[in-house]
Formats: sequence, C-alpha cells, structure tokens
Amino acid sequence: MSANPTSGAPEALLVADHVTKRFGTFTAVDDVSMHVEPGEIVGLLGANGAGKTTLIRTLLGLAVPTEGRVLAFGRTPDRTTRRRLGYVPQGLGLWGTLTVAENISFACAAFESAPPALDPALDAVQDRLVADIGLGLQRQLAFALALAHRPALLVLDEPTSGVEPLARARLWETVHAQADAGTGVLVTTHYMQEAQQCDRLVLMSRGRAVAAGTEDEIIGDTTACEVETDDWAATFAALDKAGLPVTLTGTRVRLADTTSDTVRKALESAGLTGEVHEVKATLEEKMTVIDRAPANA
Amino acid sequence: MWAMILKEFLELRRDRRTMVMIIALPLVLLVVFGYAANFKVTDVPTYVVGPKAEQVAAQLRAPFDVQRIDPDDTEQDGKDALRSQDAGAVVVTTDAAGPSTVLIDGSNQFAGQSAAAAALATNGMLKPEVLYNPDLKTSWVMVPALVGMIMAFIGTIITAIGLVRERQAGTLEQLAVMPFKASDVIVGKIVPYFVLAAFDMILVTVLGCLLFGVPFTGNALVLALGAALFLFTVLGLGVLISSVSQNQGQAMQMALMTMLPQILLSGMIFPLSAMAAGVRWIGYLFPLTYFNMISNGVMLRDAPLPSLAIPLGVLAGMALLVFTAAVLRFRRDLAPAAPKAARTPATARSAR
Repeated sequence: MSANPTSGAPEALLVADHVTKRFGTFTAVDDVSMHVEPGEIVGLLGANGAGKTTLIRTLLGLAVPTEGRVLAFGRTPDRTTRRRLGYVPQGLGLWGTLTVAENISFACAAFESAPPALDPALDAVQDRLVADIGLGLQRQLAFALALAHRPALLVLDEPTSGVEPLARARLWETVHAQADAGTGVLVTTHYMQEAQQCDRLVLMSRGRAVAAGTEDEIIGDTTACEVETDDWAATFAALDKAGLPVTLTGTRVRLADTTSDTVRKALESAGLTGEVHEVKATLEEKMTVIDRAPANA
Repeated sequence: MWAMILKEFLELRRDRRTMVMIIALPLVLLVVFGYAANFKVTDVPTYVVGPKAEQVAAQLRAPFDVQRIDPDDTEQDGKDALRSQDAGAVVVTTDAAGPSTVLIDGSNQFAGQSAAAAALATNGMLKPEVLYNPDLKTSWVMVPALVGMIMAFIGTIITAIGLVRERQAGTLEQLAVMPFKASDVIVGKIVPYFVLAAFDMILVTVLGCLLFGVPFTGNALVLALGAALFLFTVLGLGVLISSVSQNQGQAMQMALMTMLPQILLSGMIFPLSAMAAGVRWIGYLFPLTYFNMISNGVMLRDAPLPSLAIPLGVLAGMALLVFTAAVLRFRRDLAPAAPKAARTPATARSAR
C-alpha cells in the first residue's frame, strides 16, 4: 500500500507524506513525513514554534497542505475518518458555559456513542458548568470525551501542559492503556522528559522533522560535556559568559554541542578548574545540537 | 507621563479598527447629520384625480409635487396609489363646489405632516384626510421600523459575538474535527439566532399593536417572507463579521459600525425623501431600508404584494449574496478545500 511511504507498513492509521504548509512566504511545516501505526505512541517533539501544532492541524484536516498529502485511515481526512478519531486540543475544546453532563451529551450525540464511564471526581460535578470546575477535571473530561467513541487514533496536542506531576502521570497511564488496547496515539509535547513515554519520536525544528526513531536512536553517539567542580555557580557563569550553551541540572554543569577542549579553554581563561567529561547527550541536548546547526545543514 | 502618552498613541496607531472608528465615525456622523438629518419633507409626490383635476393641479404649490393628473381616475384609484406608495398625497376633485379632498399617506409620517400642514394653509381649497395613520402618531411608524432594528441587532451583533466566542474558546476547531457535515454546523449555529430573532420580531409586533394601538392591516405571510429574507441577510452579515474578528470586542465594534448607518439612513428616523440624493442612495444599500418599506407597508397600509416586489426582490438578492458568502467563509474555516495548485508528493519531490 502506498499509504505509508515512510515505513512501508500497510496498517498506518495516519500518514504525512512530504507535507509542507506555508502561510504566505513563511513555511511552518517543511517537507515532513511521518506515520502512526495501531498500538504505538508517537511523540511529536519540538520547541514552541517548531511547527508541531500546524502539522497536527494539517493531519486532522483543519488545514490543507501546500504540498504533499495526508492520509488518515488510508484516505484524505474527511467526515468518515473523523468518526474514528479522538482529539484533545491544547485548549481542551470544551464548552465552558455548558455543564459537564451537557458537554458529554453533546459529544456523545455527535459521535453517536454511549456516555463514557466517569471518574468519581468528575461524576460528582456533572451538574456544574465546565468553566467552574478545575483545570485538572476539565482535562479529565476532555480525555473522557475524546475516548468515549473508542477512537482508533488519538491525537493529543500538548496534553500535559500546565498539569501537575501526579495528574500528568495519571494522564500518561490513560494514554498507555489506550495504546495497549490497539489505539494509535500521536502526542505533541515540548517536555523532552516525556519522550520516554513514547514508542517512537519525531523531532521537529524550524518546521522540519530533523530526527525520528526511539530516544536512543535519535541521540545516537551525540555527546555532551559535564563539568565536575565544587564551584558550580562560578563555572556556570564563566561558561555562559564565554557564549557556550551551558545548562544546569541541579548543580551539574553540562554543555551540549561543545567539545571538551573548548570547555577546558573557557575554564582556563576564567581562571577556574574542573574535570571535564564527555558523556552521552540527553534528548534535550541533542535538540540543542540540532537547533544550533545552520538552517540549511 | 510623556512616555505613557507616546505609548498610547503608538498603540492606537497600530489598532487599525479603532483608527477607522476615530476617523470614519465623525465623517459618517457629519455626513448623516449634515445631509440626512432633516425632518422637513419639501416634495410630496402627488396625484390629482377627478373631473377638475387639471384646474386644481394648476393651483397646487410645494410641497405638493404633482406627478400625475388624471381626470378619469376615481377616489379608489387614488387610494390604491397611496397604498402602493406611488403617491404620498392624492387630491380628489369633484364637480361639486367646495374644497377638494386631499388624501394623505400617514404611514410616511413626516411627508404626511408636511402635506397636511400645506393643505390646511390653502384657505379652504384643500381638505386633508390622513389615511393609514390618521393622527400621524410617531409610535405607529416606529414600531414597524423597530421590528427590523431588533432583528438586525440579534442577527448581526449577537450572531457575530456568539461565533467569535466559539472561535476564541477553540471549540470551533473541536466542532471541525467532529463527524459533522459543515452544513450541519452552519445550520446548527445559525438556527437558534434565527429562531430568537423571529420570536423577538413577533413579540415586538404583538406588543406594539397591543400597547400602542398600531394596526396590523396586511398579510402576515408577506411580513414573514420579508422578515425571513432580512434575517438571512443580517445573520450572514454577523457570520462575515465574526470571520474577520479576533475577539468579541472587535466583533461588537464592527457590528455597531454596520448598525449605526443603517439606523440613521434607512428612513427609520429621518425620512428618505428629505435626504440629499447622495446620502439617500447610501441608504438604499442597507437591508434595513427595504425591510422598513415592507413592515411599514404590511402593517399600516395593507400594501399589495406587487407594490412590495422591489424591496422583497432586493432583500432576496442581498440575502442570497451575503448568506452565500457567509456560508462559504464559515465552511472554509470548518473544512478547508485543497488548493487547486497543490502538488502531488511525486511532483513536489521532483521539484526539489
């Protein structure tokens, strides 16, 4: 089947085939190919403005690609494909001036599905206006509505944005349960630490898919430098002043896209000492390497 | 303080809609109140009928603007001309001695007042008889006009705000990914406003008749047809405004900018016949002008359908044009069509 040009797998639920989306002279998505298969969680990662949301909107059929094509369940996204799709947008897409029960009733009527079983906390606020319940409950409701019609594909746009850690863990638990049941999941996030929750990642930068695969595959043999020092604050300040991409994790000073020689020279110039080791880069550091690369590289 | 003033000016300069209001509104008000704000009607289209028509017509002075003289026409012919608003006054002459009767269309209040005053000033040559609004009451003329204004208010302002709220909340996007047909969403969004506006129309009409004694002499179905066409136009206008507004404030601002000139130039407050020709033609661009003609004609004069063919036809044209544009625009937001020039992956790749 030609539906999955990126993997050749015939069962892809969602396929982006060399998709480009331009707004005037601005290219928001540039020649991106990717796919989502049943039962897998694909993470679309990238900084704010990398083109994730535009790509999602194009994949959902809310925007038309300027070039390339999108296939949902083997066909151009339309009303039939939307029936098999669950979508939780960044803004949650709930009607704040309707009650929880009214939101459920409307979504179930739209998808001709049975009302979902609700978490007790959500069940207790069925008669309250959605605008009057907390963000955590709103997010739970958005998920319940997106899952009520048992979609084959779940699309989540920044689902954990602004969510406290415990709720975030519960939310990922739900996502994994859906994937285990065979639902394909496409999730966007700018939290690199959430990459471990995904089976496969697509990294976006400046509108392009710059890397794809598992976390290990994407990082590959990219290394970062870690500086062992007692005076981490002065070390950080000196390396930052030297214009190096230095980060601080706790009191550990790390640098992406930099050789150990460069770091040592910068420390010497600042009159500081410290042990510099080359270590395996994190996904975030790999992203820094990609972002710092020349645009046409 | 200077920094604050400068910042405010910079913000205002970049807020194009507010700048348009600041510059355009005074100009609109200047034009309206300079050229349109005139209650004095100087020309009343007049027919003269009956055996002494030629003789009496020769003696008529302003505001009577004699447009037809027909000695063979009867009083009934004259009344028919008034009902159809082919004339604002009809002088009925007889062979008998004494004053001729001048029948005056009271549904056109200011023209009626002008004609009645002129008749009384003829030293007994003309005896005025005001039809359709014998006491020339303002409420009788205002209630039919208010019906249109209220429908325009709900149709344009409330619809625009409701749609922008949906877009701002991100729920319009949610609707677009639900398995609805684009037409389901459009009809589902618009029908409630249509029903509410229709309910308000009936309420104002009934209350107007009960509280102010305004007569309803014509065919309710003709009014319903005119109201439906008018509603499609103003609802379409509301949808179009929502599609170019980023927030509810902008939608309100734009909707008011369409409402204000309609109220001032539709003949609702200032008579169209008293306006300077250029401004009057601006008034003819607005749907409220034509609905006023229909509601006034149906309620006060029992105007026959053929005499309302022009306002009904113009409203039908406007409804078709505006509502189609609105539906297409709304549909584009919900289900964007593929651009004709979109290249296939193969051609896209080979082009690189």
